[in-house]
Amino acid sequence: MQFFDREHLRAVFSKPTNYINTNKGEAYYDALYRKMEKRLQELRAQKPVREAEIKFQELLETWDLTRRDFLKWVSATTAMLMLPAKFEPLVAQAAEVMDRVPIIWINIQDCAGNTEALLRSASPTVDELILEYLSVEYHEVIMAAAGDQAEENLEKAVKDFDGKYLLFVEGSIPVGMPEAFTIGRHPKTGVEHVKHLAEHAAAVIAVGSCAAFGGVPAAYPNPTGAVGVMDVVKGKPIINIPACPANPANITGVIIHYILTGEIPELDSLLRPKFAFGYRIHDNCERRAHFDAGEFVEEWGDEGAKNNFCLYKMGCKGPFTFNNCSIVRYNEGTNWPIGVGRGCIGCSEPGFWDKYATERPLADSDIKPPGINGVEATVDEVGLGILTATAIGIGIHAVASAIAGKREDSSKEEQ
Amino acid sequence: MYQKVKRMTTTMRIFHWVNAFSILAAVITGLYIANPFYQTLISEPAAYKYVMAYNRLIHFFAALLLDVISIAIFYLYFASRFEKVYKKLIPTKQNIVEFFEVLLNLLTLNRRKKFDSSHLDSFNAVYFTILHLLLVWMLLTGFYMYVQGLESGLSAIGSWWPALLHLMTDWVGWLLGGHAGVRWWHHFTMWIILAWVAFHIYYQVWRTIFWREGDIAIVFGGYKFKKVQKQS
Repeated sequence: MQFFDREHLRAVFSKPTNYINTNKGEAYYDALYRKMEKRLQELRAQKPVREAEIKFQELLETWDLTRRDFLKWVSATTAMLMLPAKFEPLVAQAAEVMDRVPIIWINIQDCAGNTEALLRSASPTVDELILEYLSVEYHEVIMAAAGDQAEENLEKAVKDFDGKYLLFVEGSIPVGMPEAFTIGRHPKTGVEHVKHLAEHAAAVIAVGSCAAFGGVPAAYPNPTGAVGVMDVVKGKPIINIPACPANPANITGVIIHYILTGEIPELDSLLRPKFAFGYRIHDNCERRAHFDAGEFVEEWGDEGAKNNFCLYKMGCKGPFTFNNCSIVRYNEGTNWPIGVGRGCIGCSEPGFWDKYATERPLADSDIKPPGINGVEATVDEVGLGILTATAIGIGIHAVASAIAGKREDSSKEEQ
Repeated sequence: MYQKVKRMTTTMRIFHWVNAFSILAAVITGLYIANPFYQTLISEPAAYKYVMAYNRLIHFFAALLLDVISIAIFYLYFASRFEKVYKKLIPTKQNIVEFFEVLLNLLTLNRRKKFDSSHLDSFNAVYFTILHLLLVWMLLTGFYMYVQGLESGLSAIGSWWPALLHLMTDWVGWLLGGHAGVRWWHHFTMWIILAWVAFHIYYQVWRTIFWREGDIAIVFGGYKFKKVQKQS
């Protein structure tokens, strides 16, 4: 029986869809391995973008990171990219040749929070070191050059690495009020800035929720008409790495993937890499059992909070936020929002500031009803309003019917 | 003299009550899922009680019943041997006139009654169809949220199921602005359905009182009564 053959049934019932396939078969991985090896050889043959003052090995030693730390990072990154363990040597090599890929990092309307998150940790992780080791040609926050010199550097980098550099954008783009953001002595608006740099880039990576979806600047009433990179840049590969701040692990994941394959990773419908945004926070949450059990924190500091109950009633949006924080966590896997006892505010979802960060369940949140400006009400208030209107209508009709009906009766009796 | 008129078959009545109780169950459990309004007794470890999980289970079963029965009703709209509802929905002149005559009857407080009230009228046919459209809307928004829990692309009955759901419902998220928007609309549509139910019950009771044809009995016994003028 061909049809009831085990393999055939397996094929019927496991058609690839958005299915995140973590085992694509031996042949696929062999081919991928050869492809990556070839790509790494090409990169190694190239010279570093600039004469490296420091070797990667030395950089690790400077920061007291041992070979063991590095290998741990290699294993974790390989697993995060959903590659089999035999790819680990390639990932390790990729880290070393990272200085072959030029990077331009610009900040538009933002708080530089993603940069800060990378720079301001007490003990840098390998992720953060790698971002330091990258050949960053232009980065407004960390570069030494200033003023005209900085502008020159940028133009030179664009000319030198035309079509080769990766453009990282941090911050939203004020399309509705372009004059809201200008930079430099020869002012260019943020919109022109991004369009110009994206035109010459190999790919554009939007880091953080602002660059991905507009984020906080795009919150209602969005005075500057802020939007994400994908609404401005057309005709270039775009990768969104939202979250506030974006997790350094996901940024390096995307870069490593680009180094290894020369391509961008598999993306979801919001252009987020599936390896990081394929699952909800909820799916791997350590407090999930309490959600299913109906055990919720009712107010801050109550018995439930002391016992790590589910934070859904305190406004946790984990059930509809796609991100890998519940697995990767932040700051070397130290902790993450739900781990410290406060709910997820859905910072990696579009429109999170208006709809997610209310610290109440969505049903109890004062949010703008669709199509009505200037009003903030919970969905239950709006709904009860409609039910009340119905009840008033019914009431008027019932009273009128009662009165009118009686008259009809009496008139009939008279006849 | 009154004449007995059959209005609902046994199947139709079973469908009606299964629908009614499914909506009731879905509303109660849905409100809990949206914002848990009662607390779980916490004397046992979390592993032994599934209060949220059972609420969701009942919610999904109620939704399943509503969906399956809606499909059956959709079929009967066209293929029923008893009464093909679609005939009352086609906007022919006769149906449009009947629709407004029934509406006028309601608004003039039964002063004007120029239609045959013994059979299904266009007004109620449209009104019932509105509920089914609301249920389709609930089905689309509901499955959009449901399939998020199957994000691995696998399910107990095979990966065709999440694939089908993604194909059918992904546009809803695009339309309503992501997961939060879909949740908002799913919850809000519940209130519209409750308003629908309120008017439905009121209107059937009102008909019973003012028409004096025993309309409320249709859904219990299947019959209503029609006044027959004595031949003189």
